[in-house]
Amino acid sequence: MTMPALALATDAATLSPLALFLQADIVVKAVMVGLLLASIWVWGVIIAFWLGAGGLARKCAAYEKDFWRSEDIDGFYDKRGKEAVPSARVFAAAVSEWRRSTRSRSVDREGTRDRLSTAMASAVSMEVDALADRLNILATVGAVAPFVGLFGTVWGIMRSFTAIAAQQNSSLAVVAPGIAEALFATAIGLFAAIPAVIAYNRFSHRINRLEASLSRFADGLYATLSRELERA
Amino acid sequence: MQRADTIGLGIAGAGHVLLFAALSAGWLAADPLTLDSAPIEISIADEVALQSAAPRIADAPPPPSGADQAVTEPDPAPPAPAARDAVPEPTPVPTPKPVAAPRQPAKPATPAAPPKPKAGGLKLDTSDWLKPSAGANPQAKPTDGAPASSIGPAQQSALAAEIRRQIKPFWKAPTGADADLLRTTLAVRLARDGALVGDPQIISTTGQTASNRGQVRLHQEQAIKAVRLAAPFRLPPDLYEGWKSLSVTVDRKLSQ
Repeated sequence: MTMPALALATDAATLSPLALFLQADIVVKAVMVGLLLASIWVWGVIIAFWLGAGGLARKCAAYEKDFWRSEDIDGFYDKRGKEAVPSARVFAAAVSEWRRSTRSRSVDREGTRDRLSTAMASAVSMEVDALADRLNILATVGAVAPFVGLFGTVWGIMRSFTAIAAQQNSSLAVVAPGIAEALFATAIGLFAAIPAVIAYNRFSHRINRLEASLSRFADGLYATLSRELERA
Repeated sequence: MQRADTIGLGIAGAGHVLLFAALSAGWLAADPLTLDSAPIEISIADEVALQSAAPRIADAPPPPSGADQAVTEPDPAPPAPAARDAVPEPTPVPTPKPVAAPRQPAKPATPAAPPKPKAGGLKLDTSDWLKPSAGANPQAKPTDGAPASSIGPAQQSALAAEIRRQIKPFWKAPTGADADLLRTTLAVRLARDGALVGDPQIISTTGQTASNRGQVRLHQEQAIKAVRLAAPFRLPPDLYEGWKSLSVTVDRKLSQ
C-alpha cells in the first residue's frame, strides 16, 4: 500500500485517534500515553498467560493419570520426574523429601510425614504463585484505568471550559472538539480496563482450579507415600 | 515464562500499533451519506427579492412562419396510414395529407422523397393554414404580459412571507375549543405607500366546527384588527404590482 492511499485522517470531525491525540492538552496526552502503555502491558500479560499456562491443566491431568497407572514410584520419578509440569514439580519435591528422610537407618515416621506434607504444600503454592504473579497487574489496571481516563476527561473538559470563557463563545463548534478529545481519554481507559477485568476473572478462576487439582494430587501422593512409610 | 512475556508484549504492542493505524487511517470514519436519489436544490425565499428573476420576453417580432414551421408543426391532421405508405400519386389536389410523409424523414422505409416536386403547392397551402394560430400568440404577449414579467414565483413567495412577518406581531388568535382550526382569509388592498385602501374584506373562514362556532366572529375581527395595526406595510415599491391587492390568511400557525 502506498503512502498517499494511507492518508492519515487528522481531521477532528472524524473519529481519528491520532487527531484527537494531537489536539489534546499535555496532561491529557500523558494520560492517554500511560493508558495505552497499560493496555499494551495488559495484553502482553494476557498473551503470555495463554502461551505459558494455556494447556497446563490438561497437561497436569495427563501427567497425574500416567503417574497413578505406574506401579513403581522410583522408576516413574527417574523417567519423568523432571518434566516442566506443575504436577511433576510437586511430585519431585515429595520424592526428594522422601529420599532425604529415609536415607538414615532409623526412620522417624511422624517427622517424615510432616516434612512430606510441608514440602508438597510449599511446592503447590510455589507453582500457583508463579502463575498468579502477573494477575495483580490485570487487577490493578482493571481497577485504576477507568479512573485515570476519567481524570484525563475531567482535565480536558475543564480546559475546554476555560477556552469557552476566553473566547466568549459557546457555539458547539468551539466546545465539541475539546470535549471529544477529553472523552477519548475515558475511552482509552475503558479500552484498557475491560480486557484486564475479564482476563483477571477468567485467569484467577483457572488458577484456583489448577491449585485445587494440584492439592488433590498432593493429597493422594501423601497418602501413598504414607502407606509406603508404614511398610518400610 | 520470561520468553512468553516477551512474545506477549511484542504481539500486544504490534496489535495496538495496527489498531491505532487503522483507526487513524479512517477505518471507522463514517461514509459520506449515500442517497437513492440525487438531492435537488431548493431555494427558500426568505427575503424580499428586489431583482426580477422572471425571464424577459423578447420584443423582437416572431419569425415568419414558413416552410420550416410547417414541417415541425405536429400533425396538421391525423395521418392516415395510407399517406405513410406514400403512394406518390400525382394528385393535383393540395390536401394537408401528404405533409405527414416529409415529417418523418428518418424512416428509410418511406420512399416519400419523390413528392418534392409538389413542394411548391404544398408550402403555399400549409402556411396559409397555419397563419392565424402561429401569429396570434406572440402578438398577444408583449401587450398584456409585461407587468407580470417582473414578479416571479420567488418574489411572490418572498412577498407573502414578508407580509406574514409584518402581520405576525399584531395577530392574536382567539383561544377556545377547536379555535386553532380556524383560518380566516381577507382581501386587502394597499396603496403604493403601503397604507390600506378601504377596509379588509373577509373572504372566508374555514375550519368551522360546532364547538368553535362562537369563536368565528372573534377570529375574523382579530384578523382585520391585525391587518389594520400592521399597516402601513413596508414592502418593496418596485414590486407594487405584486402586492397592491392581496389575500391574507391568518390562522393558529401565524401566532406561533
